[in-house]
Amino acid sequence: MTALFRLIGTGGVIAYRALFNWTTPAMFIGSLLVGPIFQLLFFAYLGRQLGVADDRFYIVGNAVLAASLSCVFGGTMAVANERRFGTLGHVLLSPRSRTAVFLGRVLPYAGNGLLIAVSTLTVGSLLLGLRMPPDALPALLATLAVASLSCGFFGLTLGALGLRFRDVWVVSNVSVALLLLLTGVNVPAAGLPGWMRAVGQALPITHAAAAARQLVAGKGFAAAAPALAAEVAVGFGYALLAATLLKLFEAESRRRASLDTM
Amino acid sequence: MKLLRMIGVGALLHTKQLSRSPFEIATALIVPVVQATLAVYLFRAGGEPGRLLEAAVGAGLMGVWSSVLFGSGGAIQNQRWQGTLEMIMLAPRPPALMILPITLATAVTGTYAMLATLLWGRLLYGVPLDFAHPLLFLLAVPGCVLGLGMFGLLLAATFVLMRNANALTNTLEYPIWLVSGMLVPLTVLPGWTGPIAAALPTTWGARAVHEAASGGPVWPSLGICLAISLGCLITGALMMTYVERRARAAATLALA
Repeated sequence: MTALFRLIGTGGVIAYRALFNWTTPAMFIGSLLVGPIFQLLFFAYLGRQLGVADDRFYIVGNAVLAASLSCVFGGTMAVANERRFGTLGHVLLSPRSRTAVFLGRVLPYAGNGLLIAVSTLTVGSLLLGLRMPPDALPALLATLAVASLSCGFFGLTLGALGLRFRDVWVVSNVSVALLLLLTGVNVPAAGLPGWMRAVGQALPITHAAAAARQLVAGKGFAAAAPALAAEVAVGFGYALLAATLLKLFEAESRRRASLDTM
Repeated sequence: MKLLRMIGVGALLHTKQLSRSPFEIATALIVPVVQATLAVYLFRAGGEPGRLLEAAVGAGLMGVWSSVLFGSGGAIQNQRWQGTLEMIMLAPRPPALMILPITLATAVTGTYAMLATLLWGRLLYGVPLDFAHPLLFLLAVPGCVLGLGMFGLLLAATFVLMRNANALTNTLEYPIWLVSGMLVPLTVLPGWTGPIAAALPTTWGARAVHEAASGGPVWPSLGICLAISLGCLITGALMMTYVERRARAAATLALA
């Protein structure tokens, strides 16, 4: 069991460090910390102009959504970049559990997502003047962590598709755009058609954003718990789906000898 | 005339090349449509169903800017990765004239977004395409595209000088959407954003297109957009010449 946790933890950290082979701190800060703040401001001002909802709705919603950026792309990169850099074969030759290897890759990205969400929430609140009840902060942090993990597993599910399809980055880009629309982060759920709300229920972020809004409104953990539990369930579902798809597509790519096909 | 022909043929070639990329096309068509859907539901939720054409046009303009930002910002790097940068720089023409067709092509590819959001709005949501000035709209969009393409050359020249240009590219998408009034009216933004907005060709280009769609004097906005863009083109060309000479002298043209 210790070896398994070591594989998940240490493996994930080493893979994460490898990311800085091509990225830089400036790119990290610009893309992941500054970008989401402008996204938050864009929707907050649009919401103000249209009178759709107050600033709190947009600050909290977009802060939770900010976690998705690194988690979805990170989860996708965890698999797709192995192929791009020619190391996928080595990973799949490993005698250890590939499911554990790839699930471990998600953890640092989820940590990143949490950092981004906290930073976006803090800066957004300071810029637009949102006050939060201090006793809600621990539960809010837990909510953001659950959202990040849930998004990470969603990203890994998309990454698993990278074992089967070449243009997985199109899927990631479109998925991130769809999260903007379907999770009710920027449009109140009541304003969306029924089918969009239904799809949103199965996506990460939707329930976490609802839970975070309850917490920031001062309604307490009890009011947020059902939505938080739903987000945990969604995250667990995607973890399971990712593990299944990884096994399935790995077996298929071995059978078709298409592992390193770009 | 030869110069215009070269720029035209070059822009056509690069537009064709970009149009063969499934990633470019999917991103240019699907993402703006998702954003336009979001805008429509936001405008409806805000009790502004009469402004849906504005939402569709705004989302299209956002798509044009994204295409220019990522395409022009990475124009030099993309040529380097393709192994064609040296051949482009070897051509007996100023480097800016070789890169301008690429940045124009990224703006032209961006118009796919405008077409997609307008068609999507008409077909799925029944948004009436009642342009206040239909003919001027057909002029304002290419004018805005031309302006953004020239602005793209300045981006390409600036970004090639910066080691961490990607960081800036990823960060500049939302601020320009916001400050240029593509979807959010400038009147709701803090006053200090006014001078920044006034200096950007994106603001005037977006304004010209919105005025052609919803009513207003199109020509002054379009003229200012093209004048600022021409300034960007000249500055970008000077920077490009400087960068090319420096890269030749240091033998770093092919190095990232």
